[in-house]
Amino acid sequence: MRTSKRVVWLSALLPLGIAWNTPTAQGDNLSCLICHNALEGTFTAQDGKPAHLHVDGEKYAASVHGDLECTTCHMTFVDNPHGTPEEEVDESIVKLSVAVARKSPRDPIALAACVQCHDDIYQEVRESVHGANILQKGESDGPLCLDCHGSPHEITRAEGASSTSPVAYRHVVATCGRCHEQKSISLKYGFSTDIIARYDESFHGKKYLLGGTQSPVCTTCHGTHRVRSQRDPEALVHGANRLKLCGQCHPGANEKFVAAITHKPVGKDNPIPYYAEKTLIILTFLVISACALHVLLDIYALIRTTLLVRKYRGKP
Amino acid sequence: MTPQTPTETSPIALPEEVQRFNLTFRIQHAVMAGSFLVLFFTGWALKFHEVQGSAAWIDLWGGPKAAGIVHRVAGITMLIDSLFHLGYLAYRAARGKLRWDIIPDWQDGKDAYNNVRYFLGLAQDKPRFRRFNYLQKFDYWAVFWGIFVIGASGLALTFPTKAAVIFPAWTTDWIWELIYVMHSDEALLAIVFILFWHFYNEHLRPDVFPMSWIWITGRMSVDELRERHPLEFERLFPGHATRHDAAAAAPPVADAAPDSTVGTPS
Repeated sequence: MRTSKRVVWLSALLPLGIAWNTPTAQGDNLSCLICHNALEGTFTAQDGKPAHLHVDGEKYAASVHGDLECTTCHMTFVDNPHGTPEEEVDESIVKLSVAVARKSPRDPIALAACVQCHDDIYQEVRESVHGANILQKGESDGPLCLDCHGSPHEITRAEGASSTSPVAYRHVVATCGRCHEQKSISLKYGFSTDIIARYDESFHGKKYLLGGTQSPVCTTCHGTHRVRSQRDPEALVHGANRLKLCGQCHPGANEKFVAAITHKPVGKDNPIPYYAEKTLIILTFLVISACALHVLLDIYALIRTTLLVRKYRGKP
Repeated sequence: MTPQTPTETSPIALPEEVQRFNLTFRIQHAVMAGSFLVLFFTGWALKFHEVQGSAAWIDLWGGPKAAGIVHRVAGITMLIDSLFHLGYLAYRAARGKLRWDIIPDWQDGKDAYNNVRYFLGLAQDKPRFRRFNYLQKFDYWAVFWGIFVIGASGLALTFPTKAAVIFPAWTTDWIWELIYVMHSDEALLAIVFILFWHFYNEHLRPDVFPMSWIWITGRMSVDELRERHPLEFERLFPGHATRHDAAAAAPPVADAAPDSTVGTPS
């Protein structure tokens, strides 16, 4: 509240602020927010890299990073106008920023800056199938920090039933689905299509969608920052690891049990359930049609008897 | 109460009602109906979880976990009820009190054919049904199919780790999908079948609306028996005219109570 009031008040001084052209003071984000709280939309500079200009000061203050200065991450933007040479930034950050530039073209330094505090998680992500795809293979598919955690200025805690974080229990399946529902990605990387739809149809997914709080979601089985390809022997869902994984909730899970979850669509490649379902649908259709026809004929005969045959022998 | 020996001149006195189902059968039916409805109510929202309102409906049952427990308890209740039914039939058979006339035979096929002819106006009269007509037999045996398919798959889904021990290794690629499909699709068939068939025949038909009370009383009026099961009527009350109008002319004998064992499926 105080922030927004101050921002409004200080907005009046906006032209003055630009004219002053002073470096931002330690511990003061207002010099940045004075403009960026009011700015809207995306600006594309001559280098073709888009900049999303808006930062919601209130949401930023309420986020887990609300105490950080803008320049903690946006290291090259200490001046106003923005333009400090990159040499001042730690070399390892600069190196990482080159690798992640595809994911954050405007200010890759700021994305790389996450590792300043979250190096432990960076080490996990780097080894994961997501991180390796970008950092080692140089692909642009796959998430880094912000793709899952959302806008860097609005990251909130993922714990709690009412958390709005994209990685909170209630939202994480949709967040994974943003990429994993894309058929092109499924085909490119060779995992089964319709994974999210198949999860939704599974007992785990149904329970989750009906409001379950303990049913497993994507990250429960596949892990979070350490997520591995199912072909990776270290993956939680790989081979014998599954026995331990499923056994956490299903004591006594054996190999035949853990084969139940595949996320594969029921197709002709698995003919027994495929044709069993078709047969049951035909059976249902035939039985219901026969019953409906019989009922309609019965009604017809009843009406005919009641209307046309005066001396109906049945009950009144 | 004293059974009379029917003769040509003095047929057995006609009671108001005959008993068709004893208390044990009625309790079996009530447990079946009750557990069926609970399974229907909790399972439907699971099958159609994506439909708006399913989550709110499941909340009424205490959330997905509680609804799952209710569903499983109802399912096991239904299975126990079914096993009890078989055991009870065996018990009655051992004591020579079981008539096997619920078993479909060729006559039922002829009855169905003639009934459709009657519906279409190609025959003057309805076929003359025995104690159980082909509709009732279909209703009865459909439950066996449903209990077998849905019950077996439901047990496997309730105790998946135990079921996994039993399943042969060569089935693991398809068995889970199969039992899931069996349970879900057969349950849908059972529900729609009950809604179409059972509800129409036992609730909505003008002659029984709002419902046939036989599931509570176990008794059927002798007029209804004569109308709907004339051959059974003749078997129980030989010498009496089957035709309703002929019976209306006969003097009613109101105070003669039926022998309670006469009409039971014995």
